[in-house]
Amino acid sequence: MTMSGFDPFAQLGLERRFDLDLEVVERTHRELSRALHPDKFSGGTPAERRAAIERASAVNEAWRTVRDPVSRAEALFRLAGVPVGEVNEPKTAPAFLMEIMEMREELAEARGARDLARVEKLAAGVRAREARVTASLASALASGAEPAAALPMLGELRFYKRFLEEVSAIEDEAMEHDGAV
Amino acid sequence: MTALFEIFDPKAAPKPIGIDLGTTNSLVAWVDANGKPMVARDCDDVSLVPSVVHYRADGGVVVGRGAQLLASEHPRETIVSAKRYVGRGADDDAVKGLGPYDLLPRADDGPNVVRFKVHGRAVTPMEVSAEILRSLKRLAEDELRAVGGVVITVPAYFDEAQRQATKDAGRLAGLDVLRLLNEPTAAALAYGLDKRASGTFAVYDLGGGTFDVSILHLDDGVFQVKSTGGDTALGGDDMDRAIAEELFVAMGFADASARPAAIVRLVLDESRKIKHALTTSDVAGADLPHAGGAVSRVEISRERFDALIAPLLARTGVTCRRALKDAGVKPEQLDGVILVGGATRVPAVRAYVAKLFGREPLADIDPEEVVALGAAVQANQLAGSVVTDEVLLLDVIPLSLGIEVGGGVVDKILPRNTATPASARATYTTQEDNQTGFVVHVVQGERELAADCRSLATFTLGGIPPMPAGLARLEITFRVDENGMLGVHAVEATTGLEQTVTVEPSFGLDDDTVEQMLIDALDHGEDDLDARKLAEQRVEGRRILAATRRAMADSPDLLDASERAAVEAVAAKLEKAIEGTDAARITLYIDDLDAATKPFAARRMNEAVAAALRGRDVTSVEVEVAHAKGIENAHADG
Repeated sequence: MTMSGFDPFAQLGLERRFDLDLEVVERTHRELSRALHPDKFSGGTPAERRAAIERASAVNEAWRTVRDPVSRAEALFRLAGVPVGEVNEPKTAPAFLMEIMEMREELAEARGARDLARVEKLAAGVRAREARVTASLASALASGAEPAAALPMLGELRFYKRFLEEVSAIEDEAMEHDGAV
Repeated sequence: MTALFEIFDPKAAPKPIGIDLGTTNSLVAWVDANGKPMVARDCDDVSLVPSVVHYRADGGVVVGRGAQLLASEHPRETIVSAKRYVGRGADDDAVKGLGPYDLLPRADDGPNVVRFKVHGRAVTPMEVSAEILRSLKRLAEDELRAVGGVVITVPAYFDEAQRQATKDAGRLAGLDVLRLLNEPTAAALAYGLDKRASGTFAVYDLGGGTFDVSILHLDDGVFQVKSTGGDTALGGDDMDRAIAEELFVAMGFADASARPAAIVRLVLDESRKIKHALTTSDVAGADLPHAGGAVSRVEISRERFDALIAPLLARTGVTCRRALKDAGVKPEQLDGVILVGGATRVPAVRAYVAKLFGREPLADIDPEEVVALGAAVQANQLAGSVVTDEVLLLDVIPLSLGIEVGGGVVDKILPRNTATPASARATYTTQEDNQTGFVVHVVQGERELAADCRSLATFTLGGIPPMPAGLARLEITFRVDENGMLGVHAVEATTGLEQTVTVEPSFGLDDDTVEQMLIDALDHGEDDLDARKLAEQRVEGRRILAATRRAMADSPDLLDASERAAVEAVAAKLEKAIEGTDAARITLYIDDLDAATKPFAARRMNEAVAAALRGRDVTSVEVEVAHAKGIENAHADG
């Protein structure tokens, strides 16, 4: 199976849409994992055991893709025939680029000052923006309009995701310095 | 039918066993006739077999308590805590200060593994582990007629090399290793089955030499490992060492390089006893020889001990917080904390865990037996041919897996805590014109540079025709199976050249070496090995025949008449081969039957998926109905 042909939604028997009920996604993953679990086939033929492991890996990959908003959006674009990735997407708008740079600078300062409260405040702001863009992207993708027009929102989501990963790394760093209870 | 009878006769059925192969102690357990898991005990009613192996000058081997008694007298010939060396490289600095052993340097063309020099010969940690496993097998055989498949537990944090070495040790001990199971998962399994609980749990496992924490989610019979974390070099042994350092100073041996090996062993033994005594007493001590030769008592208070181990506990705290964060769980969302490992008997550890997670930890099951009991439960399930409503375990990858790309940077292909079995692909291209090969360097770890990660394997995909940079397309697929073992497949898309490696880690032994060890271990060499191969292939052939017929009876509609005839024809050939004495012939028809049933197996899998999805839809309707009822009830109450 090549990446371009992989349909994570079909793997999980889910509708191809962005605003999925994540609880249903989790439940589906659990049910399929149960049905395909290698232990269920420990008495089966080798072909069956192999088929079960392959299918279970595909289900896990589909689950990984679908539960994360960025990779879920990427899969939807890809399945709609819109190529994704840095080279295929429109350049980031200069105004947003400026904003990004300022936010990153502020985060770097807070990190240097070991000011966790400020880091958390920045993260909360980004989470709010992320939620807004997620909602807009959902309605854009559900509207039936040309999906390529919604690509800048994917770029924005990616940035927020990276930013929050950096926040998480800073929190890890803080934990390293603070082992005692 | 005779063949089937032989396989399923309960009297003849060998008993599946679970083994906790620990750093300090090991145990073996099984599920008794009443379905209750129990650990094997020796004639003195002791279940713990010290993971200590003594090599006698005459070539004999002593395992367990007997070996432990010889340790202070023969420190270099008695291997203690071999698990700390399993799967480690000879050039790994971290293993050098771990014990009073003579470690052999890596031979120029030899595999990169730790080798102890014992009586002039080389012994690998894997062989030491195999001796322990053999001894546990004998302990089980004393009570059971025959030992069947085995589940061996490993720390969740064990990497590929360490898992492979553990599996090889099982093979070398003559065991049929059904599965490697993560220790915390085994513990949760023992608890889950006893309590039928559902919820989110933390398993805090502080053993002799390793620390593990896992966050597990149990829902409707499915255990899902949400995250794991740990340290392969932190445990009760470190507490002993902390006490020992204190004793050495009091004894006048402050200079570590001037300590006689026998004294080191004696002090470590006394330190362990002091640690145990401090579980119930406020002060404990030992009579020890001082540097000048005089013997006098040295004492340590519990207060001092608690202070000595505080830094060790703080390290476990950091790991626990990260695991909680990875799982997206706050301490107050946990439904329970399970204690595993002998070191969790230390009162300061229990107090620390209670504070860290904000609740008293569970310790209903003996923390030293719980892992073996869980392994026995799992072995029993795996060996059963009838599927019952067993608890299923969904595991994750403990450390990120990736490959080295330009500039020595790691490209993570499967990040840590990805659910297994897992697969993922990444595509790369050539960086130079006319590049005819790719070197694929597989690494494991969280660091950004390959040099800081664990190197697992390196292979080359060559023979690519010269073309400009950026044109070749190398697609790399990582697959991690249900045992956490990694397979890597590389294909160059424009030419279709491909190569697959099952990761035979650079820190391990290759298959031929293990095979040779297996031959050496048998008294009669190759003849016995052939006889054993034939017996194994016959059992495997019969098992596959039975499974194929069962599957065809279960889903008769998924095969058309011609496919059915083809399968029957191969099955008949396999049946005939089993009656013969040619193992290779049996293998051949097993492979043929495998190929003949492949489309059938895929269809069966589609059915299983469709059935599960139908089940999900039913469940979601049920949830809605329950919800609606809840609203009605609320109205009725009002």
